[in-house]
Amino acid sequence: MNILTWGRNPWGQWILTHISWGLLWAALFAGLAFLVAHASYMLLSRHRKREAHETDAMEAARPDLPPRIARHSLAARLFHWVMAGAMFVLLFTAFLPIAGVKFPWVAWHWMAGLVLTGSILFHIVHATIWMDFWSIWVGPSDLPELKAELMRELGHDVAGPRPGKYPLGNRLYHLVIVLAGLAVAATGLTMLVRIRTPFLTRNPYLLSDASWGFTYVLHGLAGVSLVGLVMAHVYFAVRPEKWWITKSMILGWITRRQYLEHHDPQRWVAR
Amino acid sequence: MADGTLVGASYVPADHVAKVTGRAKYAEDFRAEGMLFAKLLLSPMPHARVRNIDASAALAMPGVKAILTASDVPDQNGAEKALTNEPFYAGEPILAVAAVDELTAAEAIEKIQVDLEPLPFVIDPLESLRPGAPNARLDGNVWSAPRPPAPGGGPPAPAARETVKWTQEDFASAGEGQLPMGRALEEWSFGDLDAAFKASALTLDETFVVQSTGHHPMETRSAMAYWQNGKVYLHGSTQSVAFTQGIIAGWLGIPPSDVVLICEYTGGGFGSKGAGAVSMAIPALLSKKANAPVMMRISREEESYIGRARTNMSGRAKVAFSKEGRILGLDLFIVQDSGAYGPMGDFRSGGNAASLIYQPAAMRMRAINVITNTPPRSQQRSPGPMQANGIMEPILTKAAKQLGLDQVALRRLNSPEGKALYGPPLPNGQRRHITSAFVKDALDRGAEAFKWNERKARSGQRRGSKVRGVGVTVGPHGAGSIGWDSIMTIRPDGKLYVQSGVGNLGTHSVMDLARVAADVLAMPWDKVEVVWGNTSKSLPWTCLSVGSQTTHAMTRANHAGAMDAKRKLQQIAAMDLGGSPDDYELGGERVHRRGSPGGGLTYAQAARRAIQLGGAFDGHAVPDDVNPMTKTSAAALAGLGLMGVAKDTYPRDGDTYSFVIGFAEVEVDVETGKVSLVDFLAVGDVGRVINPRSLMAQLNGGSCLGIAHALCQKWVIDPQYGLTLARRFHYNKPLTILDVPANMEAMALDMPDPETPVGARGVGEPPVGAGYGAVMNAIADAVGTDVFRRAPVTADIVLMSLEHGKRMHEPLRAHL
Amino acid sequence: MAVIRDVMPAFELLQPASIADALELLDRHGPSAWVLAGGLDSFDWLKDRIKRPSVVVDLSGLAEMKGVRPRGEGLEIGAMTTLTDVVRHPMVQQRFSILNQAAEAAASPQIRNQGTIGGNVSQDTRCWYYRAGWSCYRAGGNICYADTPQAINREHAILGADRCVAVSPSDTAPALVALDAEMVIRSKAGERVVPAEDYFIGPGTDITRMNVLRTGELLIAIRIPGTWAGATFYFEKVADRNVWDFPLVNVASAMVLSGNTVQRMRIAVNGVAARPLRLVAVENAMRGKARTDDALAAAGELAIQGAVPLQFNAYKVPLLRNLVKRAIRGAEGT
Repeated sequence: MNILTWGRNPWGQWILTHISWGLLWAALFAGLAFLVAHASYMLLSRHRKREAHETDAMEAARPDLPPRIARHSLAARLFHWVMAGAMFVLLFTAFLPIAGVKFPWVAWHWMAGLVLTGSILFHIVHATIWMDFWSIWVGPSDLPELKAELMRELGHDVAGPRPGKYPLGNRLYHLVIVLAGLAVAATGLTMLVRIRTPFLTRNPYLLSDASWGFTYVLHGLAGVSLVGLVMAHVYFAVRPEKWWITKSMILGWITRRQYLEHHDPQRWVAR
Repeated sequence: MADGTLVGASYVPADHVAKVTGRAKYAEDFRAEGMLFAKLLLSPMPHARVRNIDASAALAMPGVKAILTASDVPDQNGAEKALTNEPFYAGEPILAVAAVDELTAAEAIEKIQVDLEPLPFVIDPLESLRPGAPNARLDGNVWSAPRPPAPGGGPPAPAARETVKWTQEDFASAGEGQLPMGRALEEWSFGDLDAAFKASALTLDETFVVQSTGHHPMETRSAMAYWQNGKVYLHGSTQSVAFTQGIIAGWLGIPPSDVVLICEYTGGGFGSKGAGAVSMAIPALLSKKANAPVMMRISREEESYIGRARTNMSGRAKVAFSKEGRILGLDLFIVQDSGAYGPMGDFRSGGNAASLIYQPAAMRMRAINVITNTPPRSQQRSPGPMQANGIMEPILTKAAKQLGLDQVALRRLNSPEGKALYGPPLPNGQRRHITSAFVKDALDRGAEAFKWNERKARSGQRRGSKVRGVGVTVGPHGAGSIGWDSIMTIRPDGKLYVQSGVGNLGTHSVMDLARVAADVLAMPWDKVEVVWGNTSKSLPWTCLSVGSQTTHAMTRANHAGAMDAKRKLQQIAAMDLGGSPDDYELGGERVHRRGSPGGGLTYAQAARRAIQLGGAFDGHAVPDDVNPMTKTSAAALAGLGLMGVAKDTYPRDGDTYSFVIGFAEVEVDVETGKVSLVDFLAVGDVGRVINPRSLMAQLNGGSCLGIAHALCQKWVIDPQYGLTLARRFHYNKPLTILDVPANMEAMALDMPDPETPVGARGVGEPPVGAGYGAVMNAIADAVGTDVFRRAPVTADIVLMSLEHGKRMHEPLRAHL
Repeated sequence: MAVIRDVMPAFELLQPASIADALELLDRHGPSAWVLAGGLDSFDWLKDRIKRPSVVVDLSGLAEMKGVRPRGEGLEIGAMTTLTDVVRHPMVQQRFSILNQAAEAAASPQIRNQGTIGGNVSQDTRCWYYRAGWSCYRAGGNICYADTPQAINREHAILGADRCVAVSPSDTAPALVALDAEMVIRSKAGERVVPAEDYFIGPGTDITRMNVLRTGELLIAIRIPGTWAGATFYFEKVADRNVWDFPLVNVASAMVLSGNTVQRMRIAVNGVAARPLRLVAVENAMRGKARTDDALAAAGELAIQGAVPLQFNAYKVPLLRNLVKRAIRGAEGT
C-alpha cells in the first residue's frame, strides 16, 4: 500500500497531494484490532485491584475528605465535550465521503475545525492558569509508576506509586492526542485559505506546492491517527471498570472511595 | 493603364472547383513511400531550461525511428528556432519524434523524460515593467530601439534586448485605470504639441487595451518533407511561395537551390504564414535524420501555441480637439507585447496609421516593446493600424459626443486627402506621403448607402430592453510595394503562360494578377495558364503576400512583363512584316498592323519566331535588373516561347495606402449586456478593382475579423502557471457566421491610384480596423462612451458598466 | 512523462446492438468503460488523453434509445435522440416549445446533428482549468485553480460552489427541470427514475461527478409529464456568440397564467452553478401573484440570494436577476 498520494501540478511536476486513503482503513483496522486485543486481555488478565476491605480501611483513615472529590471543573468538562463533539463532526465529515457516503461536508468540517481550535486554545489558557498544569504530562519521574502499574497488570501487589490525578494511560493518551490535535489544527487552519470562508481571501497559491503537500500529508496523517485514538478513547470510556472516570467527566466529581481506591493521595492532593 | 475586359470583371478562378469539391491537396493530404509521422513534445512551462532529455524508453519502442532535438536544428543567429533547449513560452516545441504512425509517436512522446529547470517568467507586459519584476528572457525584458544601419551596408545587426523597469512613481502617477507611462525606448514627434493642447477646446486622455488573438487559419501549419538527390521536397503551407524558398533554406542551413517547396493551396494564414512557418524545418530535418519522408500534422492544440497571434497593445492617447472637431495634437503612448520572440514592429505601423488617418497637426509617438513568456506573435491582418483604431476610436467617438458633432463629419474633417503626409519626420525634416487617398469620397458614399442619418436618428432610443447605436471608422493599411519581377511566355500552342510566385492563400490574387498581363496582351482568359504553387516551376522574384501588397506589387510587375512581351511581339512582327514595331497592335490573338485585324502573325507563329530568334525574344537573354531568382527561372523557361520578363521599374511618388470605411449599427440589450450587430457596410478606397467578387469577399472577410475582435475573440493565459487557457475555439471564440448580419454589404470607390499603371491597391488589411472600430463605436453610441476601454466588448463588460454606472472591468491586465 | 494532447489513444471499441447488451458490457468492464453517445464531450477528453478508458461502449447503434414517443399526456425522449431530432419533433414544438428552444440554443447545427439530448444533459463541465487536465478537485486533486486570486473565472459559478466553481454547460437541462422531467436510469441491476432536478449534483455532494449516474448505469430516456404542456414558456440563453457557444447564463420557465396572475410556475437556470438550479423561492413568491414590476423585482432579488461572485464573474449576478425577471415577464415586455 502506498502511504502517500502524488499528483502533478500544471507544469507536470510531481507534487504531494495527500496521504493515501488506504491509511484510513488501516487506522480503522488498527483501532479495532486494539479494542479486540485489549478486551480479550481484560477478560483473561489477572489485573490486581485493591480488595474492598483495603479501600474500606483507607476510607476510614481519611474522614477529613468530603464524600465527593471534585475532579473536573465545569469549564474543563465543557471543554472536553465541546472538543469531543467537534472531533466527531470533523472525523465523520472528513472520512464518510471518502468511505462513499457523499454529502456537502466542507462547511461542517471547517466550522467544526474552528470550534475545535477555539476549544484547544481555551484549554491551553485554562489549563495553564487555573489547572494543575503538570498533572497531565508524563516525564522520567513517572517511570516508577509505569513499573508499578505494569506489575499490577501482571497480578502482583506492589507498593509503588499509584496514579496522581490522571492515570498514566490517560496521560500518555493526552500526550499523543496533543501531538495529533495540534498537527491537525495547525494544518487545518492553514488549509482554510484553500477554501471559501468569510475570514480569508481564498488563495491556494499562498504556499508552494511542496509546502502544501507537506501540510496535506500531515493533516491526513494526524486525521487518520485521530480515528484510531478516538476509537480507543471511546472504548475505554465505555468499559465498565473505567465508567467511574467517564462519569466524572459528566458530573465533575468522584466519590471519596474512588479517589482513595485509584489515586495516590500524595500525588493528587484532594481538597 | 491596361485597357482590357478582364480587369474589373468577376470570374471563377481555375482552382475553385478543386477547392469546393475537396480535390485540392493541402500539405497534409500528401503521402510518400515509407512516410513517417512526427509528433512534438511541447514545453509545459512558460520559461525553462532543458537540463536533460532521456528518450531511451521512447527509442526502444518498435516503430519509433528518430528523435530531433534543438541541437539538430541550425542556429538562426539568435532568432527563433523550430526546436529549443530554453523554451520561452508554454507550448514551445522541445523535440520531435518520428514514428510509423501518429499513435506510436504520441506514445513515444509520453515515454520521454525531459528534465526542466523552471526559470523566471512574466505573462503581462506591464507587470514586466514593474520594479523588481522578472524578465521574460534572461538578458532583458524589452526590445531595444533598432540601431541605425551600419555605414556602407552590411548585414543588419540582430535585434538587441535590454532591461527596463519603470519606477513605482511611474505606476502610481498614472491615475486610476490609466496606462502608466515610464521610459519609452522609441519616440518621434512633429509639430508643436504644447501649443496644440493650449489651443484645444477639448482634451481627452484615455487608455485602451487591445487584445491579442490567435491567427488560427483553418489549415494548421502542417508540413511533409522528403529528400531526393540532395534536395529537400517540402509540402508546406505558406502565404508566399517564391519568397518562402529562401527562408526555408535558411532554417535548414542549405542553399535555396536545394529547396523545392510545393504549396498549391493554403488554408489561410492571416499573416501567420507570411513566409511559411519555422516549424516546417522539423519534418525536413527529421526526414534527413530518419532517411524517410516525414509528415508533421499540426493539431489545433499545437496551433494554439506555435500558430502565432496578434500583438496586444495597451495604448494611451491624449488628444487635443478644436471646437470644430479638428485634431490639433495627439500624444500617443503604446506598450506593445511582442510575446516570446520578435521584435514585432506593429506599434510603428500603428503610430504611422494614427498619424495618417487622423491627420493630427502635431503629434508625439512613444512606445516600448515588451517581451513576455507568451506564445509568439506575428503580423496579423492589419498589424498595428487595427490596434491604432482600437486605441483612438473611443476618443473620437467621445469627442464627437462632447463637441456635439456628427461621427462621420468628425472623421471626414480629420481624414487624409490626396498625397497626405504621415509618420515620423525624416532626417531632412520632411515627412513621408502617400500616393493617394479618397477617404472623404468614401465617407460620403458610405454615409449615403448606409442611410447614416436615418439610422443616427434612431440611435440611443430604447425599445424594450434594446438600444441601438451607429458607428463609423476609417481603417487604413499600407497597400503595396514595388520593384518585383514577372515572367510570362507565349508559346507555340498560342497560350499565355504566366508564372505566379504568389501563394494561393484564399485571396485569388494568385490568379487575378495574370489577368493584368492577359489584358495587356489582349489574350482571352481561356488561353491563359497560370503556373503556380511549386518553386521548381520557374517562378519570378515575387513579393511576400503580406501587408496587402500583392495586388499592387504584382499587377505592376505583371504589367511590366506583359509590356515586355507586347514589345517583343511588335518587334517580331515589324521584323517579319515590315514597318516599325509601333505600327503593330494586338488583337484576336494576333499581332497585326493597326487597323488590320486578322492580318499579321498569330501568337503561335510569333512564339515560334521568338524561339528561332532566341536571345531576349525567348528568354535566353534577360534584363540585368531582374533578381537572380528570376534569371534562374527565365533560364529554365528559355526557348519555350516568346518571353516577357521584367522588373517593375514604374515610378511611384509616395507610399501606397488603402482605406476602408466601416459603418456599423448594433443593438444592445441593456438587461443582458449582449450586443448584436444589425448591419454593416464596408466601403473601400482601394484603387482600381481587379476582381469585384474577390474584392467584396476581402472587404467582408476582413471586416469580420475586426468585428470578431470587437465582439468576442480573445486569448487567455493563466498568470500563475503561464499556460494558455483558451486553447479551443469554444474558449477563444472566433466569430461565427451567425454573429454577423446576413446582409453584410461592401462596396468600392473603384478610383484608380495615380501612382501605379494598373491603378490597383491592396485591400486585405484595412477592413479589419474598420470593422473593429465601427462596431465598438456603435456600442459606445448605444450605451455610452465610457462603458468600456478594452476589447472584446462582451456582455459582462457592458452589463457591469450599466449596472454600476462606471467601468468595472479590469483596466490594464492583458490576456483575459 | 511528457504530456501530449490532441492524439486519441487506442482503446477497445464496443458497439452493442441492444440496451441489455450495453448494460452487460458496462457491468463487465466497470470503471474502465467509457460511455460514448454523440461524442462531442467524449472525444475532447479522449483526444486530449486525459481520460484513458480501455474500453469505449458506443451507444450509437441502440435504436431503442432513439426517438420521441408520446407517453400519456407527455413525451418520452430516448436519450440517444439527437438534439436536431428533438428540435424538429412536432410534439416538442407544439406542446413543450421551451425544450425546442433550449435544444436549438445548444451548440451549432452540425453539433446538434450529432449530439444527443442524453449527452447534452450528462456532459461534463467546460471549466478550462479542469478541461486542460490540471489536477483539480474535480480531477481528483485537492485544489481549485479557477478560484484563486489570479484565476480567470468569468464563466464560473456564483451559486452552490463548494471548493469547485465549475458550472453545468447544458442548455436543455434547465428546460427539463422546468418541465419537471424524469430521467430513466437503467443498470444491469434494474431501473430507477429520478426527477430531473435531482439528476444533477453539485460539488458538495460529489466533486468529481455532475450527475447521479453510477458506474454501470445508463440514462435511457427522459420523460416529460403532461403537467406543463402548452403552458406559457420562456427560454433564453445569453452567450458570447450567437451559435457554437456555451451559456453564460440561461433560464427556462413554465407558467400557468390567469390573466396577468401566475397560478403556478416552475423556473430553472443554468450556467450559475455546477448543476441547473430550480428557483423554488421564486416559484413560491410568484404563486398567485400578478406580474407587476414590484413582484418581478422581488423575484429577481430572490434568484440571486446567496450569490458569491468571483473576480471576473460578478456580472452573472445582475444577468441572472434580469433573466429571471424576464422569464416571468415574458417576451412581450422586451
